[in-house]
Amino acid sequence: MIPLVSRPSRASALAACALLAGCAQLSPDGGFGPLREIVAQRTGAAPAWHRTPEEAAGNQARVAQLLPAGGRLATADDAVQIALINNPDLQAAFAELGVAEADLVQAGRLPNPGFSFARTHSGGDVKVERSLTLGLMQLIAMPAASRIEARRFDQVRLQLATRVLATAAQTRQAYYRALASQQGLAYQEQVEQAAEAAHELAAKMAERGNFSRLDAAREQLFYAETQTRLRRARREAQQDKESLARLLGMAPAFTLPERLPELPAKIDDAADVERQAIAQRLDIQAARSELEGLRLSLGLTRATRLVNVLDLGALRTSESGKAPETGYQVDIEIPLFDWGQARVAKAEAIYMQGANRLAAVALDARAQARLAWRERQDAYELARRYRDDIVPLRHRMSEENLLRYNGMLISVFDLLADAREQAATVNAAIEAGRDFWIADAALQLALGGPAAAENRQGTQP
Amino acid sequence: MNPPSISRRAFLQGSALAVTASAASRAGAAGLPEAPLQQSPLTQPPLSPANGRPYQPVVTLNGWTLPWRMKNGVKEFHLVAEPVVREIAPGMKANLWGYNGQSPGPTIEVVEGDRVRIFVTNKLPEATSVHWHGQRLPNGMDGVAGLTQPGIPPGQTFVYEFTARRAGTFMYHPHADEMVQMAMGMMGFWVTHPRDPKFMRVDRDFVFLMNAYDIEPGAAVPKVNTMLDFNLWTWNSRAFPGIDPLVVRQNDRVRIRIGNLTMTNHPIHLHGHEFNVTGTDGGWVPPAARWPEVAADIAVGQMRAIEFDATEEGDWALHCHKAHHTMNAMGHGVPTMIGVDQSAVAGKIARLIPDYMAMGDKGGAMGDMEMPLPENTLPMMGGRGPYGAIEMGGMFSTVKVRRNLARDDYRDPGWYRAPAGSVAREWRGEAPAAHAAPGGHHEHP
Ligand SMILES: [Cu+2]
Repeated sequence: MIPLVSRPSRASALAACALLAGCAQLSPDGGFGPLREIVAQRTGAAPAWHRTPEEAAGNQARVAQLLPAGGRLATADDAVQIALINNPDLQAAFAELGVAEADLVQAGRLPNPGFSFARTHSGGDVKVERSLTLGLMQLIAMPAASRIEARRFDQVRLQLATRVLATAAQTRQAYYRALASQQGLAYQEQVEQAAEAAHELAAKMAERGNFSRLDAAREQLFYAETQTRLRRARREAQQDKESLARLLGMAPAFTLPERLPELPAKIDDAADVERQAIAQRLDIQAARSELEGLRLSLGLTRATRLVNVLDLGALRTSESGKAPETGYQVDIEIPLFDWGQARVAKAEAIYMQGANRLAAVALDARAQARLAWRERQDAYELARRYRDDIVPLRHRMSEENLLRYNGMLISVFDLLADAREQAATVNAAIEAGRDFWIADAALQLALGGPAAAENRQGTQP
Repeated sequence: MNPPSISRRAFLQGSALAVTASAASRAGAAGLPEAPLQQSPLTQPPLSPANGRPYQPVVTLNGWTLPWRMKNGVKEFHLVAEPVVREIAPGMKANLWGYNGQSPGPTIEVVEGDRVRIFVTNKLPEATSVHWHGQRLPNGMDGVAGLTQPGIPPGQTFVYEFTARRAGTFMYHPHADEMVQMAMGMMGFWVTHPRDPKFMRVDRDFVFLMNAYDIEPGAAVPKVNTMLDFNLWTWNSRAFPGIDPLVVRQNDRVRIRIGNLTMTNHPIHLHGHEFNVTGTDGGWVPPAARWPEVAADIAVGQMRAIEFDATEEGDWALHCHKAHHTMNAMGHGVPTMIGVDQSAVAGKIARLIPDYMAMGDKGGAMGDMEMPLPENTLPMMGGRGPYGAIEMGGMFSTVKVRRNLARDDYRDPGWYRAPAGSVAREWRGEAPAAHAAPGGHHEHP
């Protein structure tokens, strides 16, 4: 606390304080609006943050509308929408936004003026000094601090948005996983039925003397193995449904469609995915904003050589076992001995560091986008191959086998074995379809952009 | 039964002109006798000799006889070895190799003492040769590629010339890559008639070769590497119900000459009559050495001529007595379902395989059941008679003995109309007391 003595300066300080406080008010939605915008633009689904019982109730109604109790979760889009308003981890994360906004507002406010009262005794004299005090440092640093806090707030919002997008992608993938394993389970049940029929028939034949014990045991063994496979498939289906339910923030008391959505008729065969990623990815935007902050710090340091503003990146500290801590620091020095050359050099180096970090983030983003694109293309080709060639061929083989059975060219056991093989092929086809949709969601995340979302919405049933 | 044979002289000459540059080749091509082409798989009427020594012609079951020309006292024939499409039975065609449009090739008929010249044009993708099975001839005419002659390369014509020294029953087939070429259907019949037409004269003289193919159901080309597990047992590359009946006038003297070019023996059994084996490819059996039979086993590579007087009217079965040889393609690994009640599992299976139908629990008979089969596949057993399904395939036909047929009438007279009271019938009298069969446990629940 530095005592303020001059009345005129006190008045101007109060005026400045009022002005600055005016630019940083707590917003009615805690800064959630822009976040919702970003996410809605990229996923087509809007997240909600329920801070009041009314909001919570409203969101519950929304969830109930999308998914009546025990109802059918019709599309991946619905699942994403539910997760974005109902996932408790997201709700917890949204609270960070409130904390960041509070910091921002705090930074833009002068500390409350304080009164000090001193009464000193000197011999017989009593000296009473009254003064109005204000945090000088804070006052001086306030513009810089507000700016930095504003950017921090932006970054928190971007980080949160990234997290929301990741949750959306995870939900989408979990939805397809749960759907596919449920669909696969249905086929595994068919396989089990075929094995059961063969086993029953073989047992009857062994009993009548038409079959050796060896042949009967072979069918029995196969039946037993199929049962274990069915049990495993059932467990996997349950696990996958639980994973989805957890992301949706609810119990798995819902049903899923019987089959995966149809593959899109076609997907773009070439796209400027790297440009899209650079333009749309939030991590790149965050790195860019950080660099912008460093640029301003550098400019300030160069101009004054007295005010040393070390921004986010510069103060990134990390102790082992703890999350890295970022923040800023403002120092003001009196230039008696140091005229600031070293400080400028340091700020420049830090700026360059930030620039390189942005380049690295962009490089990563490009690579991820390319890879995700390639993987989706491959998954699509594979799924189409199953749908257009392999499954129809398997089906034709089954038809031909039935004709052969009609002509007494093969036995009913061959027919049942064929039915099992057909089911296995269909299962592989289901997995290929699932992998496409998972790769599709991964690509959306890697591009972080609306282009992928539009593509998806055009093809979703 | 009209022979729709077409001349292909024009075609041959045209192709020779187009393909061959040398004038000598052109002259050679022009000098070739006609190579007629047969397109029908049905039995053609006997070909009476228009010239040369007289003889009583044979009838080739589901086949035909090759016309010839006389040139300076020599009988000239022209065989063209080529890929053919043979109808094994209605509903199934096989891509085979044969001669002059059919497999087997046309029957060659000559008379003892005839000078014979046979031109053989090879239109196969590999070299071939013709071995004249059973003939006495100069060694260089025996047709064994590599041993007595070079193979006939694709596109070339070779000429064989010899005198038919011995009357009897013979055949011809390649002796070059013969495993493949015979598995593909290359073979034909050869009859040398006795100089004296009255010698062992018969009224009707049928000939056929027995052959076997392994054609995957739904396919058309035989598997040439099959050793024994053939699935189509055929006479002249036809399987019942594609084999024509042997139509006979009552009391005709009938000869049936059968050659075996399969990889196993076939006990050929005639119903209603006993017969004598009167000839082999080695010659005629002296009357004192003949013995009566109703089934003659014909070993691999052998020929038998059997003779009988067709005294008994009716439709008499003539078939191989190996039961599997009177079946068409069938699954040899199919388990026996007799006595196994499938009703409980049939529903389960049908849920997986909607068109499934339980079969075989009462035996193998398929009766009137008609179910879709793989394309180009004959049912295991087929053909219907006047009393229902005949339940036969493969090497099966009938000898139809009728009174009042014309001498050379080989037209199918239809089913025999048995006189009243002469057909096995249901016993309508008192039923015998029922006895449980000892150890019988095949009763159905
Ligand atoms: Cu046989």
